[in-house]
Amino acid sequence: MIMNKRILILIVMFAGFINSFAQQQQLPANNQFVDLTATVGKDQGAVAASYVYNWQLGQKRKFEIGIGGRFTSYFGTKKDFLTAPAKLARSTTFPFIIVFAGQQEKNFDTLTVQRPFVNAVNFTANLGYHLSSRWYGGFNIDVIGFTFGKKTNAVFTSNGVTVTEPVAKPAAFNVLLTGDNDYGSLNSEFFLKYDLNQRWSIRGVYQFLFAEYKTTTVKQIAPDGTSNDRFRNKANNFGVGVSYKIK
Amino acid sequence: MKKILFLLSLVVVVATSCSKQNATPTAPVNEIVDTATSNLKYSGVFMNGNEGTVKGTANIYLNDGKYQLQLKDFSVTNGPDLHVYLSKETQPINFVDLGKLKSTNGNQVYDIPGTPDFSEYKFALVHCQQYDVLFGKSQLQQ
Repeated sequence: MIMNKRILILIVMFAGFINSFAQQQQLPANNQFVDLTATVGKDQGAVAASYVYNWQLGQKRKFEIGIGGRFTSYFGTKKDFLTAPAKLARSTTFPFIIVFAGQQEKNFDTLTVQRPFVNAVNFTANLGYHLSSRWYGGFNIDVIGFTFGKKTNAVFTSNGVTVTEPVAKPAAFNVLLTGDNDYGSLNSEFFLKYDLNQRWSIRGVYQFLFAEYKTTTVKQIAPDGTSNDRFRNKANNFGVGVSYKIK
Repeated sequence: MKKILFLLSLVVVVATSCSKQNATPTAPVNEIVDTATSNLKYSGVFMNGNEGTVKGTANIYLNDGKYQLQLKDFSVTNGPDLHVYLSKETQPINFVDLGKLKSTNGNQVYDIPGTPDFSEYKFALVHCQQYDVLFGKSQLQQ
């Protein structure tokens, strides 16, 4: 009799476990969508198209983490690109700490790119959280990829001396290494999304975008004698987007 | 949903059209150099560059250790983002940017920073910076 009771308890527990597992399985395990975004800033703008694959985590599947791919096209008029290499731009190059490190403004020279136009294709990392049944907040950032774009003329300014750079070109490779350690053109977004229906959503976006140009004939000679051809623009843009849920 | 896509397209159009055309003002400017206290050091007549037509004279004055560039009886075809340079070359590579052209017409004066060596910086130019096109050049001579 005692044995039967124990078996009965085990069966009930097992059934309960199966039942709860089955309920979890009914909730979606992943979320796939495509985004189209347009942003503007001072004398500049960007459009982006991305694919996102997020895994949904937690008992209520509110938290999302995932990967994706994004095409970003950045354009502007007469934008200043400053000295890019981390060892010249910041007081330390230690990963993550560099974000809070002081700027080495004495090393900054300026490349004024007359008509910047940069197209970047990158893998992305994504985070998100379902704030309510319709509201969703998130962050995404480019991790690694490549860039292509138009060559253009630029004006290089160093200690008041101006020199024409006839051919400035976008840096070809992109990789996220935190802060000014980054290479190339990388896009990131904080966004708030509102579900219009099961498929379509609209998004409000704050965009922080690195774009990098390299000189071909003119080189910066830093005070320590370092030669540099990499210059970076950090764009702060705001915009809107639409999102279409695939699954 | 069409409305949303329309709005998104509108944002893109606004973003792309936000770039400045940077046309130069056309209202005549009439700035003068005090010739009683300034000495004319260099002068040259403007000649056409690769785009448009230009007329007038470029004069370099020295007053109390500071140089000024005067564009006298000046006129030039309008263009985007026109700047005034002191340059070592007629197609500017090494130059001092004196700022945006104040007007396509009239008498204009530009302060020159520092004390450039006019044996090297021997050209006054009107140059479209955005598209790297020369509108006018004047060789400065004593």
